[in-house]
Amino acid sequence: MQREHAREFASRESILQGLGEAGYVCTSEIATMLFLACHLEKPILVEGPAGVGKTELAKAAAAFFGLPLIRLQCYEGLDESKVLYEWKYGKQLLYTQILRDKLDDIVGSSSGLAESVQKLHQYDDMFFSPHFLEPRPLLKALQEEDGVVLLVDEVDKADQEFEAFLLEILSDFQISIPEIGTIKALSKPLVFLTSNNTREMSDALKRRCLHLFIPFPDPKMEREIVRVHVPGLSERLRIQLISFIQQVREFDLKKAPSVGETIDWARTLALLHADMLSPDLVRETLNTVLKFQEDIHMVEDHLLKMTQKALSAALD
Amino acid sequence: MEEVLEEFVLALRSSGVLISVAECIDAMRAVDLVGYADRQLLREALSGVLAKSSDEKQVFTITFERFFSSEGFPDPCQGIEDTSIRVDLRASDSTLTRLLVSGTPADLVMSVREGARAVDVATIGFFFQGPYIRRILHQMGLEGLNHDIEMAHGEDGAASQRRAMILELARSRLIENVKSFAGRQYTLFAGSSTEGAIEKYLRNARLSELEERDLKRIYAIIQKMLKHLNALYARRRKTSKRGQLDFKRTFRANIAFDGLMFDRMWKAKKIDRPDIIVLCDVSRSVRAVVRFLLLFLYGLNQTLVKIRSFVFCSNLVEVSDIFDRCLVEEALARILTGAETGLLMGRTDYGEVFREFGEKWLDTVTSKTTVIILGDGRNNYGDPQTEILKAIYRRCRRLIWLNPESRPLWGAGDSEMNRYLPFCHLAKECNTVRHLERVVHALLRHHSSLSSSSG
Repeated sequence: MQREHAREFASRESILQGLGEAGYVCTSEIATMLFLACHLEKPILVEGPAGVGKTELAKAAAAFFGLPLIRLQCYEGLDESKVLYEWKYGKQLLYTQILRDKLDDIVGSSSGLAESVQKLHQYDDMFFSPHFLEPRPLLKALQEEDGVVLLVDEVDKADQEFEAFLLEILSDFQISIPEIGTIKALSKPLVFLTSNNTREMSDALKRRCLHLFIPFPDPKMEREIVRVHVPGLSERLRIQLISFIQQVREFDLKKAPSVGETIDWARTLALLHADMLSPDLVRETLNTVLKFQEDIHMVEDHLLKMTQKALSAALD
Repeated sequence: MEEVLEEFVLALRSSGVLISVAECIDAMRAVDLVGYADRQLLREALSGVLAKSSDEKQVFTITFERFFSSEGFPDPCQGIEDTSIRVDLRASDSTLTRLLVSGTPADLVMSVREGARAVDVATIGFFFQGPYIRRILHQMGLEGLNHDIEMAHGEDGAASQRRAMILELARSRLIENVKSFAGRQYTLFAGSSTEGAIEKYLRNARLSELEERDLKRIYAIIQKMLKHLNALYARRRKTSKRGQLDFKRTFRANIAFDGLMFDRMWKAKKIDRPDIIVLCDVSRSVRAVVRFLLLFLYGLNQTLVKIRSFVFCSNLVEVSDIFDRCLVEEALARILTGAETGLLMGRTDYGEVFREFGEKWLDTVTSKTTVIILGDGRNNYGDPQTEILKAIYRRCRRLIWLNPESRPLWGAGDSEMNRYLPFCHLAKECNTVRHLERVVHALLRHHSSLSSSSG
């Protein structure tokens, strides 16, 4: 694959601009972190509330650098056979069946059990060689020659033991397989780990990563995001929409609306050819933003006031 | 420039941000890349490398603002240059005098910094600013300067008197500047050590002596403690869940099948979560400590998975769902007013409480349950109902009684503690945060050791 931007030469400004072109509106903080990650060759641990674009960042970075993205979705009970590597047991069995005759040839000529065993010893590693290795995402990321963007998504959902597997790959970009040895990265991948803070990551993991916290965006930034993703929406409606969303986030909700949901709402309004917010319109479309009945009820009580405030925000 | 970064890391560490050596090296490499010129860029870069949680980021921002404040280091010899021209240097003058008279401002700054480094910047504490300043000045050679001034005073002639006056002026300016330097160092380095001293005091202070205003601090300490304990023991609880092939057992079990590995045996362990029931006395006799016991209870409720909380005075009510629903202050207020819960704040009646518990909730006590009772056992001379406590004791795994009164008072007056004592696996005096911590330690350790042996 042709690389569009070499990581080693990326500057902070080019990253800021390039991510923008890839459809990701980012703050200077994000650009700085990405810049450091490229040059210090360190993974980035991205934290922040759900739906602020943590996963998107990895995708946009992959697009910007022109690298393939390998994604590893974490969940409880994830273990090394799904993350690092697995032996191809079927192939091993099949080969032993096929090679049985050959084994007879080898063993047949020898006299006595001890000699047979002696002879077999010369071959015993055969079935545990790279040919029989099934690479899983982490190993695959190391074997990619041109480098790759590795996204370990929602690492906080995995068990604590899983972090231990990650440590080796994060600090040295290598994996140790007992039967074969150490496999080093052909080209160091750019690693993103995302976390929703459902649990605190271990210090050992944090120490090996750069840390980036992405908060909910401010109104200006969010308007820009909506502008990039939903170009069909009028400037006035966009301001009203964002003002409304920012008000909603001030409530004590079960789940505050994420940026993703803001975009969904903007798309909905664009589809409906709305040109300004009205209490009725909001009431009908509120379920694209709020996903719990309680939350919807809570916001509906203040709907009139909030819509008015949103409308006046567009006038300023 | 590396020294600047080192000092900044030191300042961060003393504010409670944990920074490893590896992270220091990363910070240096990052600074090499971004440089010191752009302040915002520097902040963003260092923030990503050094501060690794949102709490740490807050501390980082404050410390960064203080450390790299725009006014820079105050000049210790401001305004000296214009007067210094008219003072002649003598061969006998001390180095500090020479520095004040003929050195550049930068030389003086270096001298102050070096003096500060020699007296060990990090040891500055709340009450030690005075000695700290004196030590810096001593290191810089104040004695020599004083000597020179005295010499000038002792001599006749207008020139000598003038010289003495100017040097005195320079000295007082120097002292002022070192003072403000020390003040800045204090805000950078010692803020947290004072905080640490307060925390240490609160941990050991008797709960009844603590004031309302300490509530937040205590709660933070309790949370810290519970988080630590949880991290320590949650892991072990988890591992007991995992199954591995138990080769020995498999081998033994399959002898019957002629040694063919037919029936696999797994190293399965039972999941054994702590199952805890807490009864907390909120009556007047324990009023002074009750807030803190409830705080502790609230913290436990947030941290441990399976816990049922009850409070009692004249009767017993369950408050688990209040703890689950409300924030800490609100939960405490609701329970103490007793409005919603139906708690009667009459005479404390342990007998009635145990009877009620025995009737309604005895079924929930199993061989896995740990029952914790927080209270002073003062029953107002009523029937202690030890029989029911005995029944609970027989059913549960452990019954732990935490008494805020010190041991000699147990059994004195209307305290029924000595009659309850035979039916407790563990009874402890518990009136400081430290005591609470020890109890939780014992509790969790016991649980995990039992669970691993039951596997």
